[in-house]
Amino acid sequence: METILLVDDDPAIRELFAIYLEMGGFRPLTVAGGKECLDLLGQENPDLIILDMMMEPMDGWDTLRAVLDARLSRHPPILVLTGKPPVTDEILRYGGMIWDYIVKPVDVKQIVSSLAAIITRDHELQEAMTAAYSSGKDRSAVQEYARLLRLVTVARNLEARRRERPWTDTIQVNALKERLTALHTRLGFSDRLLESA
Amino acid sequence: MSGATIFIVEDELIEAEDIRQTLEKLGYHVSGICRSGESALRTVTKTRPDLILMDIHLAGTMDGIDTAEQIHTLYTIPVIFLTAHADEASLERAKVTEPYGYVLKPFDERELYSSIEMALYKHRMEEQAREDTRTIRVLANAIPDAVMLLDADQQVIALNDAMSRRLNDSYPKMQREPAILFDHEGMFTSLESQVSSVLKSGIPVRFEEKRNNAWFEVSLHLVNGHEGQKKRVLVQYHDITDHKMFENQLKKEGITQIEQNMEQFQILNDQIRNPLQAIMGYVSLDCVHYRERIMDQIAVIDTLVDRLDRGWVESEKVRRFLLRHYRNRPDDPTDETSCRNPLEDA
Repeated sequence: METILLVDDDPAIRELFAIYLEMGGFRPLTVAGGKECLDLLGQENPDLIILDMMMEPMDGWDTLRAVLDARLSRHPPILVLTGKPPVTDEILRYGGMIWDYIVKPVDVKQIVSSLAAIITRDHELQEAMTAAYSSGKDRSAVQEYARLLRLVTVARNLEARRRERPWTDTIQVNALKERLTALHTRLGFSDRLLESA
Repeated sequence: MSGATIFIVEDELIEAEDIRQTLEKLGYHVSGICRSGESALRTVTKTRPDLILMDIHLAGTMDGIDTAEQIHTLYTIPVIFLTAHADEASLERAKVTEPYGYVLKPFDERELYSSIEMALYKHRMEEQAREDTRTIRVLANAIPDAVMLLDADQQVIALNDAMSRRLNDSYPKMQREPAILFDHEGMFTSLESQVSSVLKSGIPVRFEEKRNNAWFEVSLHLVNGHEGQKKRVLVQYHDITDHKMFENQLKKEGITQIEQNMEQFQILNDQIRNPLQAIMGYVSLDCVHYRERIMDQIAVIDTLVDRLDRGWVESEKVRRFLLRHYRNRPDDPTDETSCRNPLEDA
């Protein structure tokens, strides 16, 4: 059973997601802030983190950076769930560190049902990266590939949801996609990784 | 009758006495008579007459022209030469002392009178002009702005103390004679084209200039002289450093205020969306009967919050524009290059 960690300062949201996550066959863990999240990561090793942005005193971006900088045996994939639509700067800056950016309110059931696919994709990416490292591939190229893959995925997801909120910011993915494809060929990764990007 | 005091320098005593009587008859007051230039200089220093009648031939080593020359350099007392013979050489020498008149002996009473009156009048006018110049200079130096008058050849015609200081030691003789304005550490690079533009169009120009942490507003105005006189340009440097600093502070604080407002905006939207999310989630769980109606209401509120978001996104664009406009100046240390779109590298 996969463990999902939700970081959100609103107890109603924590409780709600716990219910849906359980229904979806996951083991839910919830914490109220970034500090608690980091503390918990010392003991638990969640398969995915759902992160709220608007939190005090440590906001979602601070928490995101801290989680990525933390010494963990494996960094779980991160999904942002927030009440504030992203702006271009935020997408460009953080899009490469997360797998999705969702604006509340959403159909929780639908989100929960998408988690398994994210976990699988992240696993595949991590495996490909580990293999590339051990075969002596350029570390920075591999990391850039991972960043671009996530950024393109986030941009595509945002684009898909713009049907409801056409005014929200997004970024042009074509140039990014080209760089991603070029790196993909250079690193010789499996085409499965690019499927949904 | 002006009642002016007149001093007579004449070596012939009878002649001198004759002049005195004529003058007194004409209503003047004779303050003294001297026979030599040397004693004239001493006496004039003490008595300061309104006018001096000077014979060219005098007793002693100095002649009338030498004496007039000395007086001219020391005082602004008008001198009229009296002489029996007007040779070319004497006339040329006399010119240098800028005499107010030249009366030939034997003089005619009326001629003497008109010469004296003309000299006194001319002198009064000159005094007035000198006084005006002094007043203008006092006024020009009283203002803290650096001001100068340039002609079409970039010659400095006049300037005030503030401008002399600004130009430093480069123009020692500036206040006496026109000097070509040369580019002092690039100080006037922007000025040259502006001066010719003002001369051509006659339309005043105003621009801002930054030099060594100080801001100046430079104004150029066309000054039309008399007919036939060359056109000139008045250049004024007004220090606006304090104003600029205040303006920059205001801009900075303005942006800070916008940032604070936007943060509040985001928090507010988050606070509305969290309950919406909770209601939506719980209703979906077990409120089968009213689910659809509740969901419709959630959609209405969500649309409202969306509109707020839309405003927020627009404000973010404004904020970014302001940041680019006010902070991304090449000489500004708060330059936010991180705002640059990394996609441009792609």
